[in-house]
Amino acid sequence: MLTSMTKTDFQKPKTVEEAVTLLKEAGDDARPISGGATLVALMNARLVQPSRLVSLSAIDELTQCTYQSDGSVRIGAMRRHRQTAFESNLKAAHQVVSGAASQIANPPVRNMGTIGGSISFADPAADYPPSLVAANAEIEIAGPEGRRRIPAEEFFLGWYETALEPGEIVTAVILPPVSESSVGQYEKLCRIAGDFALASVAVTIDFNASNTVTSLRLAVGGCGGGPIRVEAAEQALIGTKLELDAVVDAAELVVAELDPIDDVRGSAEYRLKVVPRLLQRAFNNLVETREPAQ
Amino acid sequence: MDGIDMQGVGSSPHRLEIMEKVTGSAEYIADLSRPNMLHAAITQSTVAHAKILGYDISDAMAVPGVVCVLTGEDFPDGRMGAFIKDEHAIAKDKIRYFGEPVAVVAAETEAIAREAAKRVIVKYEELPAILSPEEGLAEGAAIIHEDLDSYIKVFPAISSGNMASYTELNEGDLEAGFAEADLVVEGTYDTAPQAHLAIEPCGALADIDKQGRVTLWSANQSVFRVQANVCESLMMPMGKLRCLTPRVGGGFGNKMEPHIQPLVVRMTQATKRPVKMILNREEDFECVRARHPFKVRCKTGVKKDGTITAREVEVLLDCGAFGDDSPGVLGYSLLMSLGPYRIPNSKASGKLVYTNKLRFGAFRGFGNPQVAFAGETQLDQIAEKLGMDPLDLRQKNLIQPGDVWFGGGQVASNGLQECVDKARAASDWDNRKSRTAPKGKRRGTGVALSAHISGLLGTGAIIRVFEDGSVALNTGAVDIGQGSDTVLSQMCAEALKIPLEKVSLASPDTDGSPYNWGTTASRVTYTTGRAVVGAAAEVEKQLKEHAAQMLECSEMDLELRPGGIVGVSGSDKEVSFHQISLRAHWAAGGPIVGHHTWVFNQPTIDPKRAVCSGIPFPQVGVFSFGCLIVDTLTDEASGKTEVAEAWSAVDVGKAINPSSVEGQIVGGFVQGMGFALTEEMVWDGPKLANPTLLDYKVPTTLDTPYNIHSIIVEAAEPDGPFGAKGAGEIGLVAVPAAIANAIADAIGGHVHSLPMKPEKVLNKMLEIEDAT
Repeated sequence: MLTSMTKTDFQKPKTVEEAVTLLKEAGDDARPISGGATLVALMNARLVQPSRLVSLSAIDELTQCTYQSDGSVRIGAMRRHRQTAFESNLKAAHQVVSGAASQIANPPVRNMGTIGGSISFADPAADYPPSLVAANAEIEIAGPEGRRRIPAEEFFLGWYETALEPGEIVTAVILPPVSESSVGQYEKLCRIAGDFALASVAVTIDFNASNTVTSLRLAVGGCGGGPIRVEAAEQALIGTKLELDAVVDAAELVVAELDPIDDVRGSAEYRLKVVPRLLQRAFNNLVETREPAQ
Repeated sequence: MDGIDMQGVGSSPHRLEIMEKVTGSAEYIADLSRPNMLHAAITQSTVAHAKILGYDISDAMAVPGVVCVLTGEDFPDGRMGAFIKDEHAIAKDKIRYFGEPVAVVAAETEAIAREAAKRVIVKYEELPAILSPEEGLAEGAAIIHEDLDSYIKVFPAISSGNMASYTELNEGDLEAGFAEADLVVEGTYDTAPQAHLAIEPCGALADIDKQGRVTLWSANQSVFRVQANVCESLMMPMGKLRCLTPRVGGGFGNKMEPHIQPLVVRMTQATKRPVKMILNREEDFECVRARHPFKVRCKTGVKKDGTITAREVEVLLDCGAFGDDSPGVLGYSLLMSLGPYRIPNSKASGKLVYTNKLRFGAFRGFGNPQVAFAGETQLDQIAEKLGMDPLDLRQKNLIQPGDVWFGGGQVASNGLQECVDKARAASDWDNRKSRTAPKGKRRGTGVALSAHISGLLGTGAIIRVFEDGSVALNTGAVDIGQGSDTVLSQMCAEALKIPLEKVSLASPDTDGSPYNWGTTASRVTYTTGRAVVGAAAEVEKQLKEHAAQMLECSEMDLELRPGGIVGVSGSDKEVSFHQISLRAHWAAGGPIVGHHTWVFNQPTIDPKRAVCSGIPFPQVGVFSFGCLIVDTLTDEASGKTEVAEAWSAVDVGKAINPSSVEGQIVGGFVQGMGFALTEEMVWDGPKLANPTLLDYKVPTTLDTPYNIHSIIVEAAEPDGPFGAKGAGEIGLVAVPAAIANAIADAIGGHVHSLPMKPEKVLNKMLEIEDAT
């Protein structure tokens, strides 16, 4: 049997439950498809040859982005990167997510690719994973057993692995409420426009009236199997005013936790060298662009 | 007719084939098909260096739809190679690089052929893999070509062991030159292999007729080189193979010498059916060819006033598994290694070493960008030590009109001074330090000069006059997308004073076209243009012979008038090409056909001036010149560098089609920028690690500066067609050097290694910070 000549069954359900059922009945070779930006490329390279494709594009709830009464934002899994990049509901620290979306690949891919598809593939050099960890996002998952929500940090298990069980799909990304004084920044280093990150850093910070950091989350992309959050560095910066010395010290704590490899994008050594510099720049930009506290 | 735009020389009409290209109807090799056609795919080796012990093709043959599987055992013993005949059509007896084709499968569909190709089993006895020139030269190294001594070589090659070629050029007295110097600077520079990445991967389609004669279409830069290579490797008489070309989607040197054409021809012979094979991008990366990685040691001596007294250059080239164009690249890089400067005492030498990698070969620039990177960055390092402006240092040593080239070759036209002056003024070089950088970036400005040749080997043109007075031009030159069809037609129209639309151009065909060595060496406009002008003169002569009889006057009194008319000077008596051609076809004299052929024959080396050995080309070409200035921005956090603006002044003799020349300048710049900043083929052991566009990165439009200013300089070449010389490569040559000099201006030191990726630049920045 020639796999390259097999036919793929294509389904386009209207509800999440129907999609989950269609995936379950087709077994391991079935794949959900949202924008197709990643999956179609993998199929073209013959790395994946699904027996069934379950398109999520006709499921209305997945295409919505809603600002909820508690201040959280629910981004449906089918939201395209371009929609997220220009999402008016994403303000203050949530801009770490829109900033990441705006730097994914190129305009055709941003028009095509979705947040659910991107995070399900979990490329360690992709832009959403560190930004969602920095934003303290939760991932909503649907499967044969119903729905569940887990923190982004627990979703990305490393090297293209996620917490998704067989038959499960991502239905939404939920960003928690943020205060107006908070800020978010995503810094990406890549070889040419549209490439995956050689390294990236995502930070969200909140300040009090005297410009002292009251909360802070940071995550690094492209330097290991998944986004790397360094709580020690976060703790070291809370209570500071992001003075240069404090940032330099915290960056050292970050570097100690990275686990980069040499690849064609860059060496591990370079990644260790450049991440603290990207962090410093992210903090500098945030401090400078932030409106002075009242 | 004087008011009509004839779209002749100096105008920029649309490309002749523009409509089919912009509407997507142009036919490239992948678009062609024949009735009852088979599809072929290759099996690639999974080791870098091995003896082949045997094959098992039974699994592959068992796949339904498979028609034929051929291995090295099914191929004749012929060897091809532009300089050294060292290459079979397919691996025979030995594997010499990872990914080398070892078998070909033909099947009813491409999917079946590819699937079956995976099932061919080859039994190997592995040999130690040689993965660098240094390893190849080491004592006791495994030998890649055991029969090198017995191979046919088309030049006086100095070769032994794994060394395919050694070349040396000497002028003056090197020792005395360095003794005279107040300052001697020495450095080593290395460059990475670059992939051609023509938008169209390589492919071929062959069909066989009842007499066993094969017709071959392929993505190529020369139907005549395709014919020669296939016939040599398959030991076929040349009359048994006709080579044609569809539209070609870019070449850059990749399609000049053979790729898979011999495999497809052998398969059509074996199956008696048409066979087509198109490489996918990965295969195109892995088993066609790439730009040579160079290691260059460069040493320059100068006086305090900036006068260069001596230069010594030593290069080490990775040849890859087969000679291909490598001996030419080695020799040419040495010839260009002094740059466009007066350097009285010099020595340039180099070794070309076989390794177990894919063949390295011709790539736009042909070894010149690599040595220019070394030489031109070294000049900036000297300028800094002398406290001189880098452009003033160059100005002081510029080759002057009337000077000969390194080795003694004549330089008939030289517009370098005008290039320097115009680039200096346009870029506001003298005020460059006043330009500021955005926060977090460092701005730098760099300059590099260049020279390049256009010329080489044999060319011809045939012009026939149709009965209606329009003309058919046939040159055999393949337009690979650079626009030579349009440019040659413009020259034909200009020479005969007819509108461009009255010229029809024949597609290259080894059956009917005059010989054309190829679309390479920046040569088509200059060499084929000369043939066109020569053939047009012959047609003019014949037209006038007829007209003299028709108008009852002397040929001496006749002139060509715009619009296809021959008239009597000072009179309104005239006769049209149409009337003349009718007479020629039906009444007297016979149809008008003009032709001209020639071989470039100006010597490269003057033995009274230079002492040389292992020179691959006795006659290279005429010279084009360039001055490039770039402005760059380097990111302080990462070292990543972008080009902000560029001014590229290029002496092309005469711009036959100015917008095509600008296209060459801008295209060359962007390709050079990729070579300078991002492009790098990387091996993981014996295997190419990044044979995809996901991992191998060329600059996108977003990485390219909006302002790349093309400045055309026209120092007419006396024997060039309308004064023209080549424009295809010169715009690339200086790019890595100019960017390196701009980065050094920004960060305070030079990176000696291409590509100048963020890591190398950041390390240099940190090294400088640590030192201060």
